[in-house]
Amino acid sequence: MTDDDPLNPTGIDAGADTVNDHDRTRYLRTEEIPETAPEADLDWQTRLNETIPTSKRALTYLVAIAVAVLWIVPFIGLFMASFRPLSEIIGGWWHVEGMTFTLENYYQAWDYSTAPMGRALRNTFIVTIPAVLIVMLLGVMAAYPFARFEFPLKTTLFFLILLVMAAPPELVAMGNYNALHEFGLFDTYMGLILIHIGWGLGWVVLFLRNYLLGIPEELEEAARIDGASRYQIFRTIILPLSTPALVSVAVIQFTWVWNAFFFPLVFMRSPELYLAPQVLPLMTGRVQVEWGMIAAGSIMTMAVPVILFLLLERYYKRGMVAAVAD
Amino acid sequence: MARIQLEHITKRYEDVTAVDDVSMEIEDGEFVTFVGPSGCGKSTTMETVAGLTKPTEGKVYIGDREVTNLAPKDRGVAMVFQNIALFPHMDVFENISFGLRLRKYDDEEVRRRVEQAADIVQLEGMLDRMPDEMSGGQRQRVAIARAIVRNPDVFLMDEPLANLDAKLRVHMRTELQRLHRELGTTIIYVTHDQAEAMTMSNRIAVLNEGKLQQLAPPLECYNEPANLFVAGFIGSPSMNFVEGELTATGFESENVDVAFEPELVPSVERGDTLTLGVRPEDVHLVETADDVTEQTDELYATADVLEPMGDEVFVYLLLSEDADRSMEQEPATAPNQLLMSVTPDTDIHEGKEVAVVLDRSKIHLFETATGNALRHRLTERSDSDSGPTATEADS
Repeated sequence: MTDDDPLNPTGIDAGADTVNDHDRTRYLRTEEIPETAPEADLDWQTRLNETIPTSKRALTYLVAIAVAVLWIVPFIGLFMASFRPLSEIIGGWWHVEGMTFTLENYYQAWDYSTAPMGRALRNTFIVTIPAVLIVMLLGVMAAYPFARFEFPLKTTLFFLILLVMAAPPELVAMGNYNALHEFGLFDTYMGLILIHIGWGLGWVVLFLRNYLLGIPEELEEAARIDGASRYQIFRTIILPLSTPALVSVAVIQFTWVWNAFFFPLVFMRSPELYLAPQVLPLMTGRVQVEWGMIAAGSIMTMAVPVILFLLLERYYKRGMVAAVAD
Repeated sequence: MARIQLEHITKRYEDVTAVDDVSMEIEDGEFVTFVGPSGCGKSTTMETVAGLTKPTEGKVYIGDREVTNLAPKDRGVAMVFQNIALFPHMDVFENISFGLRLRKYDDEEVRRRVEQAADIVQLEGMLDRMPDEMSGGQRQRVAIARAIVRNPDVFLMDEPLANLDAKLRVHMRTELQRLHRELGTTIIYVTHDQAEAMTMSNRIAVLNEGKLQQLAPPLECYNEPANLFVAGFIGSPSMNFVEGELTATGFESENVDVAFEPELVPSVERGDTLTLGVRPEDVHLVETADDVTEQTDELYATADVLEPMGDEVFVYLLLSEDADRSMEQEPATAPNQLLMSVTPDTDIHEGKEVAVVLDRSKIHLFETATGNALRHRLTERSDSDSGPTATEADS
């Protein structure tokens, strides 16, 4: 946007150049001005701060590092434990000397007799993938009207969606339990997937609506003038441009559904249908607690969302920034 | 190609009337510019032609068809937007061919037409670039190519140059004129920049507060503005306005008196308030006014501020010594100030006392109450309000 006052045009419209010869040596002539603005140099203050941290800044770093270490230590412990025999873990995972590296824990966890991790992981995929994909599709289809159309009760409906987000899952568990029983969907993946979809839709619609509001309306008007129908605009303009936001939704919803413990606990009864987070507490072993096996199971469970996040991190960040931006 | 007709177009939003009873006819192949300040309804009027907005009342015709209720795609219009509105996830070829591909043209036809359109806007060899790899001017060209590739009857351009820098804007202005000449398509162009309006169009439609003020060729808007708004809006710097009274001897005000027969303005009575308008270039120093055949009486003033522009110098004149300089007001409308433009070699400096005259053939009289123009020249040669000689004299 320009702020040009039509009555007082600036720039070339304002009339002839009044710069005299003396000034001309100081200013670039118009044809010498580069297309892009030069990068702004950092001022000396910033540079100084960057090279020599002040004591306050150093303290900030110290606290940040301390928090990071506290955060990562349990994970390192788990990781170490998963690769060592039980005897070494009991002596403390932090004793590094004489360490034995073994994959035995992973083999055991994978084929554990009461609840094999291999089957549990497969089950979790069966639940998570549809729960994520359907939420993405439904979410963007619901978010688009909220972002673009005017329809009766729009604000009320949107408020209701937000309200669902405010409720804790425990609150609705009883109602959902009864409902699934009545529909005959209790203890089925279909039932669990539906619960996850319904539960995820609230934040997904809010998130995607905010993102879609950032797509200039003129793009859609341009497409309309070019002859695109509402559906064609949605498919050829809105969907491709929403990719970063959809990836963010996928990553977050995937992590949420994958790690969900409460919903499977309430709605899944048959052991052969158990999901990975449900299986972990069962791995206590017969004679003693098999810490190494639990650790290996936990690592396998958490590896999936972590790998997904690492693969999609670039898009995920773009989507998050754009959706929260305005 | 098609002529466009707007019949009593009114667009009301909940509590604002964006467009208020606008009617106009635009001839086939004409380049018409809608100009006016922000919020004057120019974009909304265009959107009713595009089909992006449905008018509350009134009818829109393109060619011989009434299109008021048709979808944009069925109107044969193409539009270029202010923020360019290229699809960021498509390359130049896909952007230009978007509309053609939707209409399921075969690949060869699409390629042929895209290349032809790219050729017209000089985008050869850039068809596989992404919009974010291009400069502002190139992107604007893609937007124009996207519009012309469909061979529309009507081009709609909504401030297409507003986001470009000043140098590029002037360049694209000539490009658009060339394009209009080559294609001969009817063009409606929306801008708030009166310089764009003056330079490019066959006719200008000046809008203010949703109402059409004047629809006329640029020079006619300049020389014979229909009312005070047009007079003040067209032309930079703005016209001088002096408020005064109609007396038996002509126009009288605190500082400026101009004698004429009151019969020249038959529609107003003596004692009514008039506004006299005169452009800065029609105020002359007495010593350089030899070629002005019809002069007013001399006015005495002090040069207050000089604005050298290179090819001319704007001089802010104070008409009365004692009057305070009302800095809050626009200089041109302050009652005791007059803006004059002189050539740079004129002997004048700040504080110099000068005598000036006005060119009687360039004086405009407006009825203050309504703002309507009463007369555009005070010479006796022509009796009509809008003699063609006035237009020629200034061109």
